[in-house]
Amino acid sequence: MLQLAELSLPVEPVTLEHRIHEIGELFLDEKFERLLSLPVVKDGLPVGIISRSSMQKIFMTRFGRELQGNKSIEGFMNPRPLLVRVDQSMEEATRFITSNISFPITEDFILIKDGAYHGVGSVIDLLQAMENRMSAQNATLSRALAELKASQAQLVQSEKMASLGQMVAGVAHEVNTPLGYVKNNLEMAADAFVRQLALADAYAELMGLLQGGEAGDAEIRQALDVVQACREEFEGIYPREEMAALFRDTAYGLQQISEIVVNLKNFSRLDQAQVDQVDINQCIDSALTIARNVTKHKAEVVRQFGELPVIRCAPSHINQVILNLVTNAAHAIERPDGRIVIRTQADASHVHIIVTDNGKGIPAEHQEKIFDPFFTTKPVGEGTGLGLSIVFRIVREHQGHIRVKSEIGQGTAFCISLPLRQSAGHSKETLS
Amino acid sequence: MNMLPKRLPAADESRTANRPTLLLVDDEERILRSLRMLFAADYRVLTSTDGHEALEILERERVQVLISDQRMPKMSGVDLLRQARSVSPATMRLLLTGYADLEAVIGSINEGEVFRYLHKPWHADEIRHTVREAMNIALSMADAPVPALAAACGEVHDILVVDHDPLVARQLRAILEESFPQAYQLQSAANLEQALKLLEHQAFSLVVSEIRVNGEDLAPFLSMLKRYHPQVATIVLTSFQDTTLLMDLINQGQIHRFLPKPIRKTLTLRGIQSGIEHHRLIRQRPEMARRHQVAAPTREVSSTLIGRIRGFFGGPRAGTGQPN
Repeated sequence: MLQLAELSLPVEPVTLEHRIHEIGELFLDEKFERLLSLPVVKDGLPVGIISRSSMQKIFMTRFGRELQGNKSIEGFMNPRPLLVRVDQSMEEATRFITSNISFPITEDFILIKDGAYHGVGSVIDLLQAMENRMSAQNATLSRALAELKASQAQLVQSEKMASLGQMVAGVAHEVNTPLGYVKNNLEMAADAFVRQLALADAYAELMGLLQGGEAGDAEIRQALDVVQACREEFEGIYPREEMAALFRDTAYGLQQISEIVVNLKNFSRLDQAQVDQVDINQCIDSALTIARNVTKHKAEVVRQFGELPVIRCAPSHINQVILNLVTNAAHAIERPDGRIVIRTQADASHVHIIVTDNGKGIPAEHQEKIFDPFFTTKPVGEGTGLGLSIVFRIVREHQGHIRVKSEIGQGTAFCISLPLRQSAGHSKETLS
Repeated sequence: MNMLPKRLPAADESRTANRPTLLLVDDEERILRSLRMLFAADYRVLTSTDGHEALEILERERVQVLISDQRMPKMSGVDLLRQARSVSPATMRLLLTGYADLEAVIGSINEGEVFRYLHKPWHADEIRHTVREAMNIALSMADAPVPALAAACGEVHDILVVDHDPLVARQLRAILEESFPQAYQLQSAANLEQALKLLEHQAFSLVVSEIRVNGEDLAPFLSMLKRYHPQVATIVLTSFQDTTLLMDLINQGQIHRFLPKPIRKTLTLRGIQSGIEHHRLIRQRPEMARRHQVAAPTREVSSTLIGRIRGFFGGPRAGTGQPN
């Protein structure tokens, strides 16, 4: 970066012995063309500065040159020039000069080194240098801003991926449980079927003997025993009432799995329009299924759904909002009788979704920050602090608003209000 | 004509009470119902949806094998296993779970000393086989109470550290020396070959090992070591964390403890002490080794490695070696 010393012009200083007319000649010299003033030095130390404008005053006065030309410059110079140490920072020097210089600018400043004269600095050069520096800094700043924006976008993306990953793991677990018993039951049913076939074979054998009419009693007795043994073994392993339960469970498990799949599909809405006429209660149902793995061991989830008109919104985004709020609620609950209530209602203008938990609550000093990106109270690595900021953004994009009410130890309520009709201009583009 | 395996009818009440007992714990009743039917022909099956109730059952009844889910609302599987260890130490402990987080797997090793980690959904044959294995082990030592150990008397134990980072052995030595001067002799190997060479000449009580050394997978080594020399306690000390690998180390390696890097002093110290105690127990009561019988490796292990490991300590000792 440019330093002050580099602005220093190595000007041969004048002395107190110089006469006015000599100075006048010097100012005409091309090499001093850029200078507003000349430094006056005695014994190496700066004692004043004499400006071009003071010369002009003399020479523009009638007979000025004749009257004053032979005088020493001492009475005409400024004996208190602006002195700047050459090792000062550019900023310091600029601050000093701009607050001390008189306007209009008629003088340069003198650079000193260890108190002695070093050179002359031009105010314009200094300002120019500062401007260059500032625009360079501006460029750096805007680069930094662009980078920040990019990494924020990346973070939002990774938050999405992280919650997606969590969701997938949760759903996998949800599916695994019914899958576990469905698969086992099917394997047992297959085994039962094989045993039934063996029993059928035993019966066929017996029938054959009976119909053939040639078999002796002993032979028939033996075939009967086989049938009896097969039957007893079968019923021992697979009692009828338990078999019935097994098939009921299997059907139930498959139903569970298909519900999860339907809700996953509803949640992602990949196969549907991005913006649609949507029943918010249905969105909540989907999101709750997805969140079940998070909530089920933490809280009882209570749905208090009111009659809602369908509203135009981006369902996958609203799902995200519900999922984030419900997940947060579950994380906030630290008591065994955890409870999350999701209430919906509609009035003439809005649909309201109220998510209430009886968790630990949000301290008053945090309440105004919770929607700020990156604000989190979770330990490093556990929360990105983006969940609620995403909620906030989505609600805003729907022209809705979100309010929070919380009390330490009592719980938190989030209320989202979405307009029944959004004003024009909010279309798919703004929501995507 | 009936080629199906002969199975005992479950309804035979007169025989139920004396039959070996399996306790199933899962918060999903349908899982319990399904598994009960799978095992009802072979064992007396007790079920519970709640860990507290399961512990009461364990206090009241003689249970040979316990299978628990990990994620349950009131008590986690690891918590149940840990408490089951003290309530009913002779019961073989298994986890059956669909989704395992790392913490739970580590807990099941260090706190639950779990015999097997099973996945949901399971294969009927596999789970039957594993339960039979556990049941046989439990029944074979039904009359052998878990012995109390005589206090160690100035015994010096040899510990082998396998890690490419020489700092690990140095740190462990410093930790041990500070708390128990002269009680342990510690040697280190920077790779598998060095470890094998040392083991060929010396009887170690405990092996503290990384899982990977310079890209070399040490899991088969740990697994075979446990298979042929169950008296050697094994501790895995690693920064590498992977639930699948850990489950293999449980099922096929029966590692005694899992310790994360960076080394934490008290945790490590406690782990090593516990490992040495485990070693002394198995040495005094070789039949106890059966409780830590390893499952067959899922991947093939080179016969050279098996041969070398079998040859340690003058070949497998009677009563401690396991059948192939």
